Amino acid sequence: MRIARYLLHRLAFVLPQLLGIVLVSFFLVKSIPGDPAVLMLGPTATPDAIAGLRTQMGLDQPFYVQFILYVNHLLHGDLGTSWQTTRPVLDDLIQRFPATLELVTFSLILAIAVGMGLGVVSALNPKGWVGKLTDIYGLSAGALPDFWFALVLIFVFYTLAHWAPAPLGRLDIEVIAPAQVTGFMTIDTLLAGDMQAFRSAVSHLILPVLTLGLINAGPIMKMTQSSVEKMLASDAGGYEVLCGIPQNLVARHALRNALPSIVTIISVLYGYLIGGAVLVEIVFSWGGAGQYAVQGVLNSDIYPVLGFVLFSAIFSLIVYILVDLIYVLVDPRISH
Amino acid sequence: MDTLIGAAKPSHSAVSATSADLLRTEDLRVVFPTATGQARTVLRGIDLSVKPGEVLGLVGESGAGKTTLARSILGVPPAPGRIAGGRVIFEGRNILALSEKQLRLLRGRRLAMVVPNPRGELNPTVKIGDQIATMARVHLGLDRKAARDRAFEMLKAVQIPDPERRMNAYPHELSGGMAQRAVIAIALICDPAFVISDDATSGLDVTVQAQILDLMRKLTAEHGSAMLFITRDVGITAHFCDRVAVLYDGEIVEAASRNALFLSPAHPYTLLLLAAFSHNPALRLGWSVTAAAAAPAASDACIYADRCPLAQPICRAEKPPMAELAPGHVVRCHFPVRH
Amino acid sequence: MLTVEHLRKQFPIAGSRKVVSAINDVSFSIAPGETLGLVGESGSGKTTVGRIVVGLIEPTSGAVRFNLAGDAQGKARPPNGKVQLVFQEPAESLDPRMKIGSTIAEPLQALAVERTEWRRRVRDAMGLVRLNPALLDAYPAELSAGQQQRVGVARAMITEPELVVLDEPTSALDPTARAEIIDLLKRIQIERNTAYLFISHDLSTIRFISHRVAVMYLGMIVEQGDAAALFSRPQHPYSSGLLSSVLLPHPNLVMESPVSLKGEIPSPIDLPTGCFLASRCPFVIDRCRGEMPPAETVGPGHSVHCFRHNEVAATTPASKTFEAYVAEAERTLMRPARQPARFIPQP
Repeated sequence: MRIARYLLHRLAFVLPQLLGIVLVSFFLVKSIPGDPAVLMLGPTATPDAIAGLRTQMGLDQPFYVQFILYVNHLLHGDLGTSWQTTRPVLDDLIQRFPATLELVTFSLILAIAVGMGLGVVSALNPKGWVGKLTDIYGLSAGALPDFWFALVLIFVFYTLAHWAPAPLGRLDIEVIAPAQVTGFMTIDTLLAGDMQAFRSAVSHLILPVLTLGLINAGPIMKMTQSSVEKMLASDAGGYEVLCGIPQNLVARHALRNALPSIVTIISVLYGYLIGGAVLVEIVFSWGGAGQYAVQGVLNSDIYPVLGFVLFSAIFSLIVYILVDLIYVLVDPRISH
Repeated sequence: MDTLIGAAKPSHSAVSATSADLLRTEDLRVVFPTATGQARTVLRGIDLSVKPGEVLGLVGESGAGKTTLARSILGVPPAPGRIAGGRVIFEGRNILALSEKQLRLLRGRRLAMVVPNPRGELNPTVKIGDQIATMARVHLGLDRKAARDRAFEMLKAVQIPDPERRMNAYPHELSGGMAQRAVIAIALICDPAFVISDDATSGLDVTVQAQILDLMRKLTAEHGSAMLFITRDVGITAHFCDRVAVLYDGEIVEAASRNALFLSPAHPYTLLLLAAFSHNPALRLGWSVTAAAAAPAASDACIYADRCPLAQPICRAEKPPMAELAPGHVVRCHFPVRH
Repeated sequence: MLTVEHLRKQFPIAGSRKVVSAINDVSFSIAPGETLGLVGESGSGKTTVGRIVVGLIEPTSGAVRFNLAGDAQGKARPPNGKVQLVFQEPAESLDPRMKIGSTIAEPLQALAVERTEWRRRVRDAMGLVRLNPALLDAYPAELSAGQQQRVGVARAMITEPELVVLDEPTSALDPTARAEIIDLLKRIQIERNTAYLFISHDLSTIRFISHRVAVMYLGMIVEQGDAAALFSRPQHPYSSGLLSSVLLPHPNLVMESPVSLKGEIPSPIDLPTGCFLASRCPFVIDRCRGEMPPAETVGPGHSVHCFRHNEVAATTPASKTFEAYVAEAERTLMRPARQPARFIPQP
């Protein structure tokens, strides 16, 4: 009941928040130098043709008019058209956003498993070998650039060992993509019952997921380690030891009490990786949303950029609402 | 002169140890490493003994090492403390020589602790009933249902109002007094032979404190548990304990039956402590020194020499032994006061 | 000098239409040089009363009036520096980054005191509380808890106040430090004729520092009177119950009372109708649950809110326990005139 009221309260703020995000990003994107009309028509275009195209695109209107027009289109489900792909941005994003989401989600699952596992073990035995290992790992995961790590993995597992497929997209070239249902290639191939395509999808996921997962396990591990250590050293943790509670139960309670801060860092990573995975996407020719948005920025193609921002914002808001719900479930003290 | 309750026979060891002791500490020493690399001694060789069913009071001011002693008896001195020597003999075994696993089977089961500030010590995200039941499941091997039933019985035994509802309450939903009752339930659910109460009533209002003390006395008497009752409130020990020991700077300076300690206190520090409760400045000033002595004390001096109004040159040269002034009344002083 | 009449204070609860009734019709007065002990358990509203007196909190209704020296008419707000407050937690009430000297001088900023005067005033205040002048440039963390509380007292005393509100000034201290602060406060009172509102839950401290005592329960003063009279024969069941929970450091001296209080203080959100103690009181009759007993005068300056105060007084034996304890303490704790003989234990 309380949770339902809280959700309504949160949802009421979603629209104004999104509008604010769109306004700010519209302003920022517009202030990037470069004229799309010039870029679209190419170096041989006449000034008249450029002026004509500018009028046609509404670029000669004042800023606020352009903004209102854009929002009006948004409300009708029209995110504009990309002049590079000549397709509606919505269609492009529906195809590409799930590609990024699939990559990021599986990477994060790996990062959580590795990070929380190592974090808990090292918090329990800070002086053991796992503890020392995690210190080194935490440092290197923070220092290694992800695209470099990706290139190393490709060199070792594709070039040398031939264990991984070529880093070119999400499926082998000879495999026919299944019909898009969820946009997650692994799920869609399963839904289509095409085991060959499924295996292909999984094998293409392995290296990029390893890259992002191992790199991003670092912060999760650090946060798990420090907050579980804090909980173990807290009065409540010490009291359980005094009561003779077995170590695994003490650790479980400590992890549970540490969960809010771990969930926070996971949610921040999730939102960040949607755009932050772009270099890895490029290395693996993933065709994801990040890559799409960067192309837009480089070519003054503003609608893909704005569309990407909007999708990411909606996604982040959903993640944050879920996180708040997890807080309420985990910690009885914040039920109000 | 009053004699020691239940132990009129003089004994060999410092704080009247006999073979009938349930728990005995022998020369227990704890040090804390410091930033300068030199260890600070927090407990300087504690000899204490408690007989089955006996309540031993331990009074001292903050920094004297009360909590360190309480936790060291359970084998876990507060961080970064380290047990530097001595033994803790409980039911004939040296606790400090046990493995972590053997220790765990004792803690909470045979040796239980009642802590102060229970709302900070209880797990904030686990329901009270589950925290109590966990003890029964872990230590008594009861199944979930039986453990919860037993926890509920325990909540009733500690007279928590509305126990059905409190079973499913979280610590932050309880008042200080109720949380203290819950902690007592946790301590007593496994029927321990020995209970350590570390300043357990300090945060409570006086009327609630009176109820909690009554409850602890009643329940430990029913269970036949012995108790080490640690507090800085001398008044409680005068009414609650069979014997009382005074801790000063990591050392027991005096121990006696409560009548002997309160009616014929012998150590100058005990006298200062009692005078502080008398609300009579003349008495207190009589036992304080106005200026610290100029001569630096030798390393094996009496630890109280610098604050002692009775200090003589020998007190700075030679540490007094723990000696029996009267049967069951021991004091560590060259010049104890005789009444 | 201070008159408080029909004070009430209600705090709104965020997100609710209910209110916390922290103070419900409190009246008392303090004469110059007098100590009124305000005693009660946590949640009784005693701290709120202190904050209202020094002007930190506005009362919902009721009047606070100061009749300070040379002012016959009285004011709702005292002139700067004439009323001061000492807090419970010395460590928390001192700014850790401020030197002791600056901390003590702080209240002078609000007064028209020449800056050249400050140093002398600070030294005087430190002398008054027996703080070593060498500590002038020390930081709070370098001081013991007892010394920190002396700084708190010096800071209050530097403006030469006529009234000091002491909010649990000793409850965070060890017994010896507590006794030092109490003795200090008594000496300052005699030297300067300062009046104290001494707020505490520690009855034996209240007994020994107060001239008069007001017992608070759930935002009400249930009994008020001369300290010795109230402590030797309480007339309100709550006062009697509180006294019975005092544990004097003497095994044979027990406070006798027909009342042992069960349960805990009820919530100040939903106040019971009738007497607030009815749910915990062994003397309760039906009438207590229906109406609030009015204040009745039972002796000079002694008033009590209880329908059955006569029975309470009749069943509570007139107790000289505190006096007996004082005599006993003098007997056992007096420093012997001669140095005790060296004790050489028999082997």
